[in-house]
Amino acid sequence: MKSIILGAVIAALLHITPTVVLVKREDAVARLLPGAEQFTAREFHVSSADSRKLHDAVGWEPPDGMVTFYIGKHQDQVAGALLFMRVDCQHGPLELAVGFDLRGTIRGVEVTKATVEMKPWVLEALRAGLTEAYRGLATDQPPAGADKVKPRIGAMPGYMAELIDKGVMHAEAAYRMLYGRK
Amino acid sequence: MLYDLRHSDLRVRWLVTLLLATLGTSYLFGAWMVALYAGFSPHKVAETYGPAGEAVMAMQMPPDTTIVAERPVSMAEMGEEMHHVDKDLLVQDTHVHMPMYAVIAACLSVIALGLAIPRWAGLAIIAILFAAPWLDFAGMWLTKLASPGFAFVTLAGGWAMALGYTIVAALAMWQMWLGRKTNP
Repeated sequence: MKSIILGAVIAALLHITPTVVLVKREDAVARLLPGAEQFTAREFHVSSADSRKLHDAVGWEPPDGMVTFYIGKHQDQVAGALLFMRVDCQHGPLELAVGFDLRGTIRGVEVTKATVEMKPWVLEALRAGLTEAYRGLATDQPPAGADKVKPRIGAMPGYMAELIDKGVMHAEAAYRMLYGRK
Repeated sequence: MLYDLRHSDLRVRWLVTLLLATLGTSYLFGAWMVALYAGFSPHKVAETYGPAGEAVMAMQMPPDTTIVAERPVSMAEMGEEMHHVDKDLLVQDTHVHMPMYAVIAACLSVIALGLAIPRWAGLAIIAILFAAPWLDFAGMWLTKLASPGFAFVTLAGGWAMALGYTIVAALAMWQMWLGRKTNP
């Protein structure tokens, strides 16, 4: 009986906490594609070779081989693009929205989802100005937001910042290698 | 018989009752969650765990060259995320849920051991309780890796879980409180 109770406690502790919305996707779209009133989804069903290239470049492959960019248009002119990027860790998933402007540089990053456990860590990293470090980055510039905020935040928020850096790096690679293809 | 719930101490019967009530409540919320995120039809389960994207049923293998498709979407469509479980998330789900399912199956099996039922019936109930999570996750993985047609295995796992719980809860409640034989 002791082992059953111990097992239940361990299982409960290991259980990933539920996901919470930090920023609604609609709000993230409005912030990252300002003024856009028409949208298209550009969906890439990525080949094995391209998946491998992405993996070699940034250690990431698109989940189930799919990458979707949402392109915003204002009066039929492209205003920018964004993609939602998930980053997994042992505490659960994070979701980012990474927006690109017309020059292909990062317009902004929003953390749209986290788990209940991760939320306070993520918020601490965001309050320290993490996402400001990504603004204007070209897609070949590695994100270094975590290095900038780590001296001012705790260890777990620092770890969250590293994960967000990683998500931005994956989004940059996807944009660099896929976005311009027709 | 290891022990007999019909003749067990009031505290044991109280514990078992509360455990069953708590598990039953969590199962109801579990069913609600499945309805919200996956659905109860093979098609919905296949959409959730199968390959992603527009050509969900048609294209399971990566194409030889990257294929691009563009379509208009509304703001609302971008906002409503379709819940899709990819391979990485399924690895995580399997890792965190299987131990919990095992503990629940073990708890219900311990209750089943105290029921006044034939030996074969006890073995069958325990088999159902442990088969349910195996079917559940085997179905998810087969849907992901082999064919969306295996979605029914996940549904069978869910129904087996409900069946196992219902049998144990109904028999335990009856034997502990209603059809109870007092000690001579």
